[in-house]
Order: sequence, then structure tokens, then C-alpha cells
Amino acid sequence: MNARRSNPSVEDWAEKVVAGDWRAAARLITLIEGGDATADPILQKLFAAGRDTPVIGITGPAGAGKSTIVDQLLAHWRASDLTVAVLAVDPSSPITGGAVLGDRMRMGRHNTDPGVFIRSMSARGQLGGLSSAAGDALIVLDAMGFDRIVVETVGTGQNEIDILHYAQATIVVQTPAGGDAVQALKAGLLEIADVFAVNKADLAGADRVVSQLREAVEDRYVLDHDDWRAAIVKVQASANIGITELDGALSAFFDYLAAHPAVQEKRRKARIRAALTNRVAEMLKKPNLVGRTSAFDLAIDSVLNRRADPRSAAANFIAAVR
Amino acid sequence: MMSSQPIRCLLAMLGTDVHSKGIRTLARLLRDYGVEVIYLGEHNTAEGVINAVIAEDADIVGLSYSTSTYLHYTRELMEKMQAAGVSDVPVMLGGLIHAEDEPELAAMGVKGVFGPGAPIDAVLDFLESATGKALSRSGALDN
Repeated sequence: MNARRSNPSVEDWAEKVVAGDWRAAARLITLIEGGDATADPILQKLFAAGRDTPVIGITGPAGAGKSTIVDQLLAHWRASDLTVAVLAVDPSSPITGGAVLGDRMRMGRHNTDPGVFIRSMSARGQLGGLSSAAGDALIVLDAMGFDRIVVETVGTGQNEIDILHYAQATIVVQTPAGGDAVQALKAGLLEIADVFAVNKADLAGADRVVSQLREAVEDRYVLDHDDWRAAIVKVQASANIGITELDGALSAFFDYLAAHPAVQEKRRKARIRAALTNRVAEMLKKPNLVGRTSAFDLAIDSVLNRRADPRSAAANFIAAVR
Repeated sequence: MMSSQPIRCLLAMLGTDVHSKGIRTLARLLRDYGVEVIYLGEHNTAEGVINAVIAEDADIVGLSYSTSTYLHYTRELMEKMQAAGVSDVPVMLGGLIHAEDEPELAAMGVKGVFGPGAPIDAVLDFLESATGKALSRSGALDN
């Protein structure tokens, strides 16, 4: 432990974060990533004092242009003096836990801007835990008092999708190179998209992607017309084309929520439900949960040895921990 | 005792140097030893690197140079890190560094210099001793 790692008290630490102290916030996120319980009482304070900063999730396949879109949105918002925090989540190697976190490079021109805080986070090859860590990091960023928060994640795994439960609005990035829109349906991305950004719209096939997405959005809207109809925006992020329209679609969505409090309430509850479900599952599986590990391991063994079917093993486990 | 948390290593190039093959190779190698590499790429300023060191809570900074401007840029970074209160974060250099400049770099506070032909083990040992965190050597891929 070097001197830099000496920590302030819970009260001081929370106060510093609320005052927008980058170092206090960054160190706290490190504790969160490491599963250090020192963070818990500080998070409680920060959550209680939450500022309801709009959190915008952005997801899509690797190489679709998520970071470049975020970079352009940052420039767009900074031009209006809006401050922004970005949580950029990248995959890690399942073998070594190592990662090359490169999203920040795409936003390099904002590195010297005190109105833009960027933090990279890796999956760390953990058994779950990523979405909770990201959710807790978002509590820290919310408390810091930015005008916007962006959470960026590759839309490949359930872990990554789970992170989006912490976002009020989700942008799903697609490209003409990304297969047909049936892929989007398969991945369940339609359900989480509030705005589709069809990036690299100068490439052949962009209009086809747009029309396929529109058809899917309309089909869904027919079934559930008491909710927002996802917007579709064509973007060429590297040329800064379509960014104003993308931000406009986000604003329209937030305006819709404000005008439809019942929808907003329903969405908030659904998000909290999903996030808590994740947390409960993670907590139950956590090996350091005193006295509970053995129960879960026993349940695993009982299925492994065919002493219990999975449903009974789960029921036995719940009975044991109740 | 070493921490079980992964080493967060920020890799960057300063100024107009564009020969990034070396730093990209190092990024991949470190990833395979369980390091979380925060890759800033080329064309960074001292201020940008320092902001990233703070926001990312980096354990160590690695700079790569292929041009003779390294004394100038490293001195600027070390001075500004001092002023920003992050001079306790160790800095290492790689690339085309002349041996006769190493004492001057050390005097600036640079903790490690790894030129052409430096064995990866030397870099790995340095990372562990400088950060007090362990690498995941057993899981590393052979390459």
C-alpha cells in the first residue's frame, strides 16, 4: 500500500465525490471494481443523494462505431456546455482476465477537457458481477453532478446487456455490414433500443437496414402502442453526419417520457426489477458470502451427481438460505 | 503481500511520434498477462495523459518513443505530473531510448527504461515490483 492509497473517511469521501473530485471518484470506482466492501457505505450515501442524471446506454457489435459516436456526441454536448461522464466497458480475456481498453483513444480529443470524465472498465473475466460493478460506478458518476452520463458496452453477452438496465435511454448501433435485421431481433436488441443509430450510412445497404429496422419497430409498436416507438437515425459518425439528429432523437425520447409519467414509471420499475434480479443472483453465487457458499456448492454437486434435478436443487438451495 | 487486483497500465505516445507497432505489441502482451491496458494511442499531450491517469486510477504509465524527442516530452510530463499530484504513479519508457540518456531520465523520475531487445520478463518483473500487484503469469498464452 503506498501513500496514494490512503483513504479518506466515508463522509469526506462522499463529500468529495459530490463536489466533483475526479480523484476521489476514480479511486472509489477502483474499489467497486475490486469488490471492496469499503465502497458500500459511501455508495449508500451517494445513492441517497442521487441527482437523477440522464444515463444513456450505447451498445452494438464490435467495430460498429460506438466509441466514435460517443466522441461526436461529446463534442455536440460540449458545444452547449453540457458536462458528460462516460463509462466505457470493454470485454476482457476469459483466460487471463487481461484487457486492452481502447474506447478512450477514440475520444482522445476530449482528454484535456475538464467537462468530460471518461472511465474504462473491463469485464475482468468474473462470474457475473460486471453489471453490478457498472451499476455502482454509475451511482458515483451520477453523484458527481454531470449533465449527461453515457455507458458504452459491446452488445454481445447477457452481462453486457444487463448493464443497460442502468440506462434510461439506450442507443443500439447497427451498420450495413452487420447482417440483416433478423440478427437484431435474435439478439433481443429490439427490446432494449430506444434509438437505433444506423452507422456507416454511406455504405451500400444502409437503407435496407433502416427499412428492416422500421418494419421491426412498427411490428412491435402494433403489439404495444402504449410505449415509445423506437427512433431510427442514419449516422456517419466519423464524418460527424447525423449526430445532431441522433441527439434530437434522444431528446424526443426524454420528452416523451416526461409527457408519459405512467410509461416512465413502468420502465423504471422494469429496470430496477432486472437490476435487482441480477444482484440477488450474483450475491447468492458469491463465494465469500459467509455460510452460504457451501449451500450453493452442494446444490451444484447434487445436480452433478444426479441426486437432484436442477429445479429441485434450486428449490433446496433457496430453502437452505432462507 | 501483493494485491490480487489486476494492474491497470496506461500506455500512450506523446507528441507527433506515429510508430505505434511497439506499443501495440506491448499492449497485447500485457493483456495476455492479465493486465488491464488503458490504451491511449498516439498524439497525446501531457495534460491528456494526466487526466487519464486520474480518471482511470492507473497504477503505472508506459510511454513509447521512436524519435529523439523523448527527453523533452518526458520531462514535460514528469513536471506536470508532479504539479498535478500524481508523481507517485510510476512511469516507464520503451522504444528507441539511447543508453546515455538513461541517467537523465532517471533523474526526472522515470522508474524503468526498456529499449529494443528488452526481454518481456524484465518488463513483467518491473510491473509487479513497481505496482505491488501480481500478474496472471500462469494463465498467459505462449507467444
